[in-house]
Amino acid sequence: MEQHEREHILVRPEDYDKNFSTLNLGPTHPATHGIFQNILTMNGETIVDTEQTIGYIHRAFEKLAERRAFYQITTLTDRMNYCSSPINNIGWQTTVEKLIGVETNKRIDYMRIIIMELARISDHLICNSVIGVDSGALTGFVYVFQEREKIYEIYEEICGARLTTNLGRIGGFERDFTPSVIQKIRDFIDHLPKVIRQFESLLLRNRIFMDRTINVGGISAERALNYGFTGPCLRAAGVDYDVRVMKPYSSYSDFDFTIPIGTQGDTYDRFCVRQEEIWQSIKLVKNALENLPEGNFHMDVPEFYLPDKEDVYSKMESLIWHFKIVMGEVNIPVGEVYHSVEGGNGELGFYLVSDGGRTPYRLHFRRPCFVYYQAFPEMVRGSFLSDAILTMSSMNVIAGELDA
Amino acid sequence: MEQPSLQSSLLGKFQPEVVTTDDSSDIYTIVVKKDAIVEVVEFLKEEMGYQFLTDLCGIHYPDRELALGVVYHLHNFKTNTRIRVKTFTSVSEPEIASLTGLFAAANWMERETYDFFGIQFVNHPNLVRILNVEYLDYFPLRKEYPLEDQTRGDKDDRFFGR
Repeated sequence: MEQHEREHILVRPEDYDKNFSTLNLGPTHPATHGIFQNILTMNGETIVDTEQTIGYIHRAFEKLAERRAFYQITTLTDRMNYCSSPINNIGWQTTVEKLIGVETNKRIDYMRIIIMELARISDHLICNSVIGVDSGALTGFVYVFQEREKIYEIYEEICGARLTTNLGRIGGFERDFTPSVIQKIRDFIDHLPKVIRQFESLLLRNRIFMDRTINVGGISAERALNYGFTGPCLRAAGVDYDVRVMKPYSSYSDFDFTIPIGTQGDTYDRFCVRQEEIWQSIKLVKNALENLPEGNFHMDVPEFYLPDKEDVYSKMESLIWHFKIVMGEVNIPVGEVYHSVEGGNGELGFYLVSDGGRTPYRLHFRRPCFVYYQAFPEMVRGSFLSDAILTMSSMNVIAGELDA
Repeated sequence: MEQPSLQSSLLGKFQPEVVTTDDSSDIYTIVVKKDAIVEVVEFLKEEMGYQFLTDLCGIHYPDRELALGVVYHLHNFKTNTRIRVKTFTSVSEPEIASLTGLFAAANWMERETYDFFGIQFVNHPNLVRILNVEYLDYFPLRKEYPLEDQTRGDKDDRFFGR
């Protein structure tokens, strides 16, 4: 291997006399589904090597977080993986609860599980249907988009927002599930299996789809671990690592569910793993909704949870807390925590260092996309351009999560 | 989180001045002299089973002599335990050996840490900025670059829209 004129582009000696062309895939390209760039060195239709440029929507969340009160950081986390923002929100809230030592009751935990699993369903629905789109089957995408719309309606009913949800609060929820929310979730969960079965009948055993995805963009379990893969991409390679099981949070240990794994780590396996995870999520939502315990929808955390508006107007203490929280004048205990949740793409980690001030001293987000997207050159070297596009969409690279 | 077996094998292998342990936070933490970081992480990876690099990030304590730090989180899937490894260096000598030889995942994480803290990872294959623009001439997450004070009054509202 010798160095190409652009560094770290490897060219084999027997290819020296060939004319390579450079192809810019992105930053704004329909196939990247977000703003990031791939500079491909092509030999005809075959990819010799690729180099990624990222950072186009970098918004300096880690720096911003150093000047913000904890409740204001929830809105930053929304904008990371915007296909499943409630998971990010709840991940951040549980991190803070771990730092300040709040144990939430079962009702809050189960409510959180319902929302996080709905978010996972919407994340996987988008990703899997987009694999279909990129391989030329637009129909499935249209089928499941309506279901995503229903999930967004559920978010809307719970918190008023659809995409960047800012859902939940430190210590629980801003309000309880109304009967209408419960009804909407129930209707959705009853209806969804039919749609998923329809969607699967379109793609899962479709000859063209299988030919396009099997043995495309594969990675071995060993390389995947070395590259820090997590989530469906790691499980497709055959490693059964799931944060919900390995480090259970929010009472996931109360539930019985299966972690699907693949064998080849290729695009088809990633598709199948996500598809099975949707089925598992449906089961989880159903179980959590059936067994939703009675209890309060928030814990007693006066330093972080806003008091009732009525109390603010009538009780001195509530007024003081309200003021302190809104103005960000709550002192945070000294400490250092790493907490992670299973996001749509894998282990979403929060490393929070507090020095006793009013804002985090340092907050680092471990974004699963950012970690595993660096394996992309290794996964597509030697394959066709059209396969690289399928590999990229099956990795579910979300630009917001990539750049933070 | 107490891990006596790990502690004894670490202290058996390395001198106490190279590795110091700290049980005060949520994850068992060791602080390593920066010259020994690759050696210690390799030992943890190859012999103690910490085969997964979960996270790598920088931190800046401007008041300390060794002001720049790198924090590694490693995960052992077999025993399902995590370990946090920290190493510190001074701003004037920001070189720390790269872990890219051990973990492919370290590549971008180290680039990100370089980008924001200016820590030079020695033997990194391609240590250039990753999220910021190439011509940026400072390292934004260091503490000497504070964010704008939201309450400052010397700005004209007509121009800044508040």
